[in-house]
Amino acid sequence: MYRLKTLLGALALALLAPAAVLAQPDFTRYVAIGDSLTAGFQSGSLVVTGQRNSYPFLIYRQATGQSTGFEQPLVSEPGIPGQLELRSLVPLVIAPRPGQGSPTNLTLPRPYNNLGVPGARLRDTLVTFTGGLHDLVLRPSGFGNTTALQQAIFLNPTFVTIWIGNNDALAAATSGRVIEGVTLTPAAQFDTDFRALVAAVATQTSARMAIATIPDVTVIPFVNTVPTFITNPATGERLALLGPDGRLTPDDRVLLPASSVIGQGGVGITVPLPDNLVLSASELSTISSRIQAYNNTIRAVANERNAALVDTNAFLTQAAQGHVGVGGIVFTPAFLTGGVFSLDGVHPTPAGYAFVANQFIEAINARFGGRIPLVNLFPFVFSGTGPTAAATSTATAADALSEPAPDFIFTEEARQSLLQALRIDPDPKSPSDENGGTGPKGGKGGKGHKGGKGGKKGKG
Amino acid sequence: MVWKALGAGALCALAALPLSAAGFSIFEQGSKAMGMAGAFTAQADDPSLLFHNVGGLGFVEDRQFSVGVTWIHALKADFEGDNPFPGAGYEAEQKKLSEFPPHAYWVQPINATWKFGLGLMTPFGLTTEWDNPDEFAGRFLSTKAALRVIDLQPTLGWQVNPRFSIGIGAIARFSDVELNRNVPRIFPGLGAVDIGKLNLESDFDEGFGFTVGLLHKATDRFSWGLSYRSGIKVEYGGDARLTQVSTGNAAIDALVRAGAPFDRDLPVETAIDFPDEASLGLAFGITPNLLVETDINYTGWSSFDKVKIDFTDNSLPDTTLPEKYDDAFNYRLGLRWTQGNGHQWRFGYVYDETPQPEEAVSPLLPDANRNGFTVGYGLNHLDLAFMYLLFDERTRSRNFPGEGASTFFGTYDTEAILLAATVNF
Repeated sequence: MYRLKTLLGALALALLAPAAVLAQPDFTRYVAIGDSLTAGFQSGSLVVTGQRNSYPFLIYRQATGQSTGFEQPLVSEPGIPGQLELRSLVPLVIAPRPGQGSPTNLTLPRPYNNLGVPGARLRDTLVTFTGGLHDLVLRPSGFGNTTALQQAIFLNPTFVTIWIGNNDALAAATSGRVIEGVTLTPAAQFDTDFRALVAAVATQTSARMAIATIPDVTVIPFVNTVPTFITNPATGERLALLGPDGRLTPDDRVLLPASSVIGQGGVGITVPLPDNLVLSASELSTISSRIQAYNNTIRAVANERNAALVDTNAFLTQAAQGHVGVGGIVFTPAFLTGGVFSLDGVHPTPAGYAFVANQFIEAINARFGGRIPLVNLFPFVFSGTGPTAAATSTATAADALSEPAPDFIFTEEARQSLLQALRIDPDPKSPSDENGGTGPKGGKGGKGHKGGKGGKKGKG
Repeated sequence: MVWKALGAGALCALAALPLSAAGFSIFEQGSKAMGMAGAFTAQADDPSLLFHNVGGLGFVEDRQFSVGVTWIHALKADFEGDNPFPGAGYEAEQKKLSEFPPHAYWVQPINATWKFGLGLMTPFGLTTEWDNPDEFAGRFLSTKAALRVIDLQPTLGWQVNPRFSIGIGAIARFSDVELNRNVPRIFPGLGAVDIGKLNLESDFDEGFGFTVGLLHKATDRFSWGLSYRSGIKVEYGGDARLTQVSTGNAAIDALVRAGAPFDRDLPVETAIDFPDEASLGLAFGITPNLLVETDINYTGWSSFDKVKIDFTDNSLPDTTLPEKYDDAFNYRLGLRWTQGNGHQWRFGYVYDETPQPEEAVSPLLPDANRNGFTVGYGLNHLDLAFMYLLFDERTRSRNFPGEGASTFFGTYDTEAILLAATVNF
């Protein structure tokens, strides 16, 4: 029965083959437009060990069967900035590795295939060529101050993926402050700019496209991990933390770096947590709705342009519900042990990027009749040599037992390093806060990002 | 407690088998019928009629006792993986088991019209056990799954007239189930690491059902039979036990230990809805020595919709394994050739449809359509039968909605042989 079916199937395939071959998506010249998620940023750093597993590289490798021909702005270890590591296990401390890596693919005589710029917002792809890590990816001095979009078009791509807009909401989520036009891009501006970006690719190249939605940043561990209360170890009683506007409710959120300050000098207990470490329920709701608006634009444009739509928003929601994984191993957005997010609480692990690559591949296959094989997740799921290599801690089992249930400390160092790499002001002020402030910070609603005037270049 | 001990003892020779019939049913319950690939509903002329068609009971003329055993052995039980997990190029094998399910029947006329029978049979069962379980890529889904079933069936037959008989029986089903898997935890930078083993063993629990059948010897050259065995639900109690697997790091082991209920009995409840089954058989006497029978069986597998494991003290979260089996048919063709000196040869073929949808194919139970080829021999008090069972290759490449975490894609390839002997006196 099986043999007959395969014979019939082979016959049918042979008859359809010419049409099928035409429809196969072509990855000969593949360009990825995006931000840090596209660049393969991981645990707070742009570093070769993460870039080797960037989702665009994985897609390219699966589609072409080759590991060469997809160029990225590789950075040696410990990366730029120094990658976050588990400095100790008990207590669990997350801090950046000392030092910094350097670019190793700087002399490529053409633009990179991976044009993901860490910290880029949507508008940056259209107008920005310099500032922070833009320089590393777009190399303004060598490439005549061209934008990511211009460099993409220059490569005459056969396939383009676009995953941009994360930072348009991420700044608000990670800086703890929703400031329209400053940390949160207005919806109308997003719509205009997104349509302009995709239109340029559609009209100035003959590339097919895959376009991804924006995940709900309120599901990421940076936002979702630290509880809004502390527990009295003796009585088990819960005490709601004190935020900038009073006692926190379960609908509020405390950001990851608060783990290093809660309890110290009464912070969170008698002294309010600073505004930049708390997202109120209404701030969250504003951010979520805005992301929905961005995604409405993205879905509409993908449909109009016949692009494959990659619903990373739905994927992350599925992960939060425990529906993502393989072989009985569930991968969730939980911090540290969820498997999807790396130590910065914002960017995926190699396994997380591999799941994302498969989301892209499935969408591309579905839209274009492709038969690109999915990434083999086995090496991502079972990685490493064992927990003995995990930490430099010399704590004994007895010490471990005497500790309370695992806490971690996401150091201020780590927070500064991460936010600056993403060109997010660690303590943004709204225009009204400033009294004639230092230029770009309070920037006009239109620009909505820092560093456009070069003032913040140094932080990158 | 007593039942458990008895059950364990009684079933150790019996129960667990590698999938001899589709789903987890076992159609081989007597060597004479097995020689004809189970196409026996319209003949039902030996004590195994208690399984194949109780309608034959009314025709029993004298007391007969029959006891036998079937040796089932997997020749091949391979798996080849596919992307995304466990990945192209991955290979694994199940342990190639041998099991020995027995059968025993007693039939006895009460008077010219009423007959009585008592049967012991194992119409369902399964063992799936993977080689090198601690390295098997599917170990967090299943390392070993075993289902053991034994039916006890008192039956009454009524010879309505010399050509027509009806039977009815009550089925008492006793069963236990064992499910073992490893437990993972993800550690940053390390991926998934084994931190424990979860073993679930149920009690030896029971369920009840019935069977009815009729057999019509319409002419000397043609007879037909109809048989029905009801579905039975067995609800199992039992315990699970979580034992720890060291990660090699004492501090991590201590943290893990504090977070889960290790080394104590965790009460569980689960249930299996066994399907009902109907058979229609037509037997044709081509010559006085040559008989051909063709049967069609229907099994109501849609009853097997999911397996829910309920941790009654909430020590661990409940789990639900969707199965969503489809009702299925199988088709049997048997030939019986009687030589003058009393030797009887039997030949048969069965095509057995799998009820298992692709999304449910898993290391716990990978099923497939099968083709069975049989040959059997009978003389005086002894029946022998041999079956070669060739499974179609079965590929899993998709999941039920929401079941992405159970992704385990690839192709299963299985072959088995069966050898049975039954003694009648």
